[in-house]
Amino acid sequence: MKKLLSLVLAVVMLLSVVSFASAEGDRYLGVMLATNVMSLDTNLATDGDSFEVIADCIDGLTQMDAEGAAQPALAESWDISEDGLTYTFHLRDAKWNNGTPVTAGDFVFAWRRIAKEAGEYAYMMDEIGNIKGAAAIIHDGADPETMGVSAPDDKTFVVELDVPVSFFPSLMYFPTFYPINEEFYNSVGETYGTSPETFLSNGAFVLESYTPGTANLSVKKNPDYWAADSVKLAGINYQVVGSSDNALTAFKTGALDIVMINGTQVDAAKKDASLADRLTVTGAGYLWYLSFSQTEKNADGGALANVNLRLAITNAIDRDNLVDNYVMDGSLATFTAVPPQFAASSTTGEDFSADQGLFADYVGFNPDKAAEYLAKAKEELGREEFTFTMIYGSNEGDEVAKVAQAIKEDVEDLLPGVTINLQSMTKSERLDKMQNDNYDIALTRWGPDYADPMTYLGMWITNNSNNYGFWSNAEYDQLIADCTTGAYITDYDARWDAMLKAETLVMQEAVIAPLYTKANANLITEGVAGVEFHPVALNRVYKNATVE
Amino acid sequence: MEARMNTKPEAYTPQPGDFEFLSNRDITTDKNYSSLSYWKGVAIHFFQDRKAVIGLIIIVAIILLSVFGPMINEYGYRDIVSFRNANNRKVVAKGIGPRIPALHEMLTGAPYDDDFADRTFLFGTDDLGRDLWTRTWYGARVSLIIAFVTIFIDMLIGMSYGLISGYFGGPVDQIMQRFVEIANSVPRLVIVSVLAIFMAKGMGLVIVALLLTEWIGMSKIARAEMLKTKEQEYVLASRTLGARNGHIIFSQILPNTIGPIITQVMFSIPTAIFTEAFLSFVGVGIALPQCSVGTLIEDGFNNITTLPYQILPPIIVLALLMLGFNFIGDGLREALAPKLEDM
Amino acid sequence: MGKYILKRIGTALLTLLIITFLLFLLVRIMPGNPFPSERMSDDMIANKRAEMGLDDPILTQFANYMRKLLFHGDFGNGTSLYYGVPINTVLSTCISNSFRIGGLAILIGTLLGLALGITAALHRGKFLDGFCTVLSIIGVCVPSYVFLIFLQYYFSFRIPFFPYFFDQKRFLFSSVIPSLSLSLFTLSTIARFTRNEMVEVMDSDYVRLAEAKGLYGGSLIRRHVFRNALIPIVTVLAPLIVDLLTGALVVEKIYGINGIGKLMVDAITGEGIDYNYVLALGILYSALYIGIMLLLDILYGILDPRIRVQGKAGDA
Repeated sequence: MKKLLSLVLAVVMLLSVVSFASAEGDRYLGVMLATNVMSLDTNLATDGDSFEVIADCIDGLTQMDAEGAAQPALAESWDISEDGLTYTFHLRDAKWNNGTPVTAGDFVFAWRRIAKEAGEYAYMMDEIGNIKGAAAIIHDGADPETMGVSAPDDKTFVVELDVPVSFFPSLMYFPTFYPINEEFYNSVGETYGTSPETFLSNGAFVLESYTPGTANLSVKKNPDYWAADSVKLAGINYQVVGSSDNALTAFKTGALDIVMINGTQVDAAKKDASLADRLTVTGAGYLWYLSFSQTEKNADGGALANVNLRLAITNAIDRDNLVDNYVMDGSLATFTAVPPQFAASSTTGEDFSADQGLFADYVGFNPDKAAEYLAKAKEELGREEFTFTMIYGSNEGDEVAKVAQAIKEDVEDLLPGVTINLQSMTKSERLDKMQNDNYDIALTRWGPDYADPMTYLGMWITNNSNNYGFWSNAEYDQLIADCTTGAYITDYDARWDAMLKAETLVMQEAVIAPLYTKANANLITEGVAGVEFHPVALNRVYKNATVE
Repeated sequence: MEARMNTKPEAYTPQPGDFEFLSNRDITTDKNYSSLSYWKGVAIHFFQDRKAVIGLIIIVAIILLSVFGPMINEYGYRDIVSFRNANNRKVVAKGIGPRIPALHEMLTGAPYDDDFADRTFLFGTDDLGRDLWTRTWYGARVSLIIAFVTIFIDMLIGMSYGLISGYFGGPVDQIMQRFVEIANSVPRLVIVSVLAIFMAKGMGLVIVALLLTEWIGMSKIARAEMLKTKEQEYVLASRTLGARNGHIIFSQILPNTIGPIITQVMFSIPTAIFTEAFLSFVGVGIALPQCSVGTLIEDGFNNITTLPYQILPPIIVLALLMLGFNFIGDGLREALAPKLEDM
Repeated sequence: MGKYILKRIGTALLTLLIITFLLFLLVRIMPGNPFPSERMSDDMIANKRAEMGLDDPILTQFANYMRKLLFHGDFGNGTSLYYGVPINTVLSTCISNSFRIGGLAILIGTLLGLALGITAALHRGKFLDGFCTVLSIIGVCVPSYVFLIFLQYYFSFRIPFFPYFFDQKRFLFSSVIPSLSLSLFTLSTIARFTRNEMVEVMDSDYVRLAEAKGLYGGSLIRRHVFRNALIPIVTVLAPLIVDLLTGALVVEKIYGINGIGKLMVDAITGEGIDYNYVLALGILYSALYIGIMLLLDILYGILDPRIRVQGKAGDA
C-alpha cells in the first residue's frame, strides 16, 4: 500500500512539473474580486469591481493619484471660467486600441448616452455634476443634444454647469464620465462590452479575456497607452473568490497575489508571522449604520419616532466591540454621520470627520446615558416593552450577520424591555423593504460616490429616496439647499461649516446610528508594490504597480 | 449467499455440507407466531437484530443529548462569553478550541495561558464566542424536529401518491405523473420566496417548503416499486379472490416495498438538513442567533482552515444520525417485510 | 411502443408550457425589486419598468415572452444581473460548464456507486458490506464543498497538480476536482440503493427459483438480480442527474466556476431579483427534468416489458 502510494505521488509530481513548465514569461498580477464583474459598459456598471476593471482599460479626463486627488489624464489641462460654470478641457493625443484617436466627440457621445439611458449613475450628471440640461434629459426625456457638453474641435471638450461644483475635476475620474467611441459602439450594438472583441480601451490595459458572468478575466498591458512607459505590469488576472477562508488559502498557495480577507481569517493572518507582514489595511469608504423607521406603521407602533429611544439604542451599542471582535478587518468604529478619511477640506486639508469625539453627547458606548434615554423614552411613550425587527442582508459579507447578533446582544443587555429580533434576507429584498418603508430597524450601508461630505448628508433631506427613516427637519433641509445650490456654493469654508451644522442635527436626533467605516484587510504578495487603494470611486489602481 | 453461488453444480452429487440455512434463525424449535399481532412480530424481529439495536441506541442518545445537552453547562445557545478588560474593551472568547482545563493541566502540567483559562468548552467556541457544545445540541434539536416532521409527512404523502399512481397505471398514472413534474419543476428558491410573502419566516416556513418538494423523490420510489411488484403472483391471487384495490395497495404491496422507501427516507435526512441551512442562508430559514446542524456546518465551513474544529461536531452528529437511522432502517426492513417462512 | 413514446412527448411539451406560465406568474410575485436602485429616482425606475414591459397586462407580457422564446430562441436580457447583456450569451457558457462538470460527476458517481453497491451486496454482512455502508454514510453527510476544500488543499496546494481555480482554457484538467467532489453524494446514494435492492432481489422467490434451476454466479447476478434491481436504482438516479447537471452553488463559488447553480442564486439574491434569469433557468431546469423523466419512462419499458403493456392497456 505504501509503495503504491509513493508511486502515485511520484507520477503526480512528475506530471505537475510538466504542467507548470509552460507557465513562463511576463508575470501577471493575480487579484481577487469579491463579486462578479457585472458589466463593462459605463452606463450599466454599478459595482466597485466593474468600475475597477473599466478604469484599468479606459482613462477619463482626469485620474486619481495615490492620495485620491485629480491629476490630468486624457485632459492635459483645463480652464475654468470666472463664474465657475464653464470647464474647457484640452485633450492630449491618445488612441483607442483599434487605432482611432480619442476625440472630444467621444466624450460628448458617452455623456449624452448616460443621460439618455438614465441608469443608476445618471444622477452623477445632474444632481452631482449639475451639468446644464442633464436633469431635463434624465427625468423628462428631453433631447440629449440639449446637454451642456460640446466639442468645438477634436481636442477641446467644453462642459457647462448650472451651478459651480468645487470638486468637478475629481468627478472626472469616475467611470460614468469616461469616453466611448461612437463609431465602434454603433458597430457592435447590444454586445458592447461583452468580450475583448466588443470593447475598446484607451487606458493602461486592454481586455484579454472576458465573458459576462465569468469568474476569471484578465487584462494585459496596452502598448499604445499614452503613458505606456510608466505601466510596469504585464497584465492582471482577476479571480472571483467567494469566501474569506478560500481567499486566505489561495493567497498561501500563491494562486493570487492580492486578496481581501475578513473576520477570523484576519486573526489567523495576524498570528502567522509570514502573513502578518503582508497584511495591509485600506479604507473601503462604506459607512455601515442603523436606519430607524420613524413612521407610525412600523417599529412597534412608531416607537422609533421617539428621539430618546433612538438615542438610547445608539448609546447602547459598543462599536469598538464590533470592529475588534467581529469585523476585525481594520474597520473603524464610527461616531459621525459622515465617515472619516474620505473627504478632506481643500483649504485646510483637514478630514471632515477627523474628530470622532465631536458628538460624544449623543452617540457612543455609554450604558448610563443609554439607561437615562430609555427611561425618558418609556415615560414619554408610556410603555415598558418594545419589540423591533432588525433586517440585514445575508449576502452582504460574512461579518454582517455577526454584527447584527452582537448589536442584539448589546441592546437587549443594556436596555431592559427592548427586544430585537433578527431577520436576514437578500440585499435586494432589504432595499425593497426599506424603499417601501416596511421595516423597523435596518443594518445598511452607503459608499461615497465622490469625495465630499454631501455624498452622505444629501441623503437625510426630506423626501430623498435614501432617507429611509422618513425623518424630516426644515432647518436641515435649508442648510443642505444652501450648500448645494444656494448661498454657500461659492464660499468653500462657509459651506464646510454649514455641513458640519447639518451633521450635528443628524446626530442630535439620532436619525441614524453610525456603526463603523468599512476597511479592507488585504494580503499582498512580497515584491508587489505601488497598487493604490482608494475609498472613493476606484478601489484599486494598478497604473504604477510593480511586481518583482 | 456468496458461497452458494460460487459452487459449480455440474455433474455433482450434493453433499450435506453444501447446504446452509437461508436465514440464521433457529428452526429446530418451532416458534408459534400465530398468537402474536403483526407489530409484535415486527418488534421481536427487530430487537433480535444487534445492529438495529445499536442504531436505536445511537438515535436515542442523540435525542436525549439534544434535549438535555444544552442544560449541562452554564452557557445558553445565544450567550456570547466575554468580559471587559481594564481599558473597558470587550474581550470575547471566540475561536477557542475544545478545552477542559483540568485535563490540560494534568497532561501538560500548566494551565492555559489566555483570558479564559479556567473555562471548559467541550467542543470549543465559535467565531462569535459562543459555546459550541450547547449550540451543537441546540442545533441538533432544531434539525431533528424539522427532519422528523417533514420526512414523516413526506413519507406518508409520497408513498401513497406513488403507490396509487403506479398501481392504477394508464391515464391515472399519466395525470399524476405530470402533476409531479409540474410540482418538481418550479425551483425551490422560487417557491420558498413566494411562500415567504404569505407566511412568517422561520421553522414553520422551512417545514412547509420541505414538505412541498421532498415527497416527490419518495413517490417516485414508491411508484417504481409498485410497478415492479404489482404483477407478482400474490397480488394476482388477491385480486382473483376479490380484494379491494385499497386493501391490495396498502396491506399487501406496501409492506413489500418498504425497503427502498426506508432507504430513501434515510437519504432524505441530510437533504432536509442541508436544504434548511440553504434556506437560512438566503434568509427564509430559522432566524439568528438560533442554529441548526445545517447552519452550524455552514458556519464551520466559513472558517474551515482557520478554525477546523468548528465544523467537526455538527458533521459528526449528522453522520451518527445517519448511521443510526441506517441500522434502524436495515433492521426495520428485515422485520417489516413479510417473508414466506412467516406465513 | 412508437405511439406510446409520441404520446408521452406530446404531454411532456404541454406540461412544460403549463410550468412556464406558472413560473412566469410566480416570478412576478416574488419579493425583491427588479430595479434595486439606491440612486435612481422613482420616475427613472418607472421608465425602466415601462421599457421592460413590466406594466403591461400579464397575459400580454407572457405572449410577448413566448413569442420571443419560441420563434427566436431568445430569453431576453438581464434586468439586474449582467445588465442588458442577452441572457443567451451568459447562459451558454454556464450551461456548458455545469453540464460537463455535472456529467463527469454522474459518470464517476454511477459507475463507482454500482460497483460499490454490488460488492457490498455480494459480501452481505461481511466486513466489506460494513465498510461500504460507512463509506456511503460519510458520502452523504459531508457536503460536497467540504470534499472540494480537501481536494483543493491536497491536490492543488500540497501537491500542486490540478489548478487551484477553475480554468476555462484547461477545461478537463480543472474539472477533475469539482467533479470528484460532486460525485460523492451520487456515489453514496447509488451504492446504498444498489446494495439494498440487490439484497432484496437476491432474497426473492424468483431468484431462488433461478438458483434452483441451476443458474449461478455472474449470469444469475446479471440476468436476474441486477436487472430487477435496476428499476429503483434508475429512479433514484434520475433526479440526481438533474440536480448535478443544474449545478452546485457552493462548489461553483469556491472553485470559481461560472455555472448554472451560482447563476440561479445570483439572479434571486443579487442586487435585485432578475425576472428573466430566474425564468430562463427555471424553464431550463423543468425541460431537463421532464426530459429525463420521459427517458426514464421509456427506459422502464425497456427494462421491464410489463410496464409498457400496462401503459397501453390502460386500467390495471
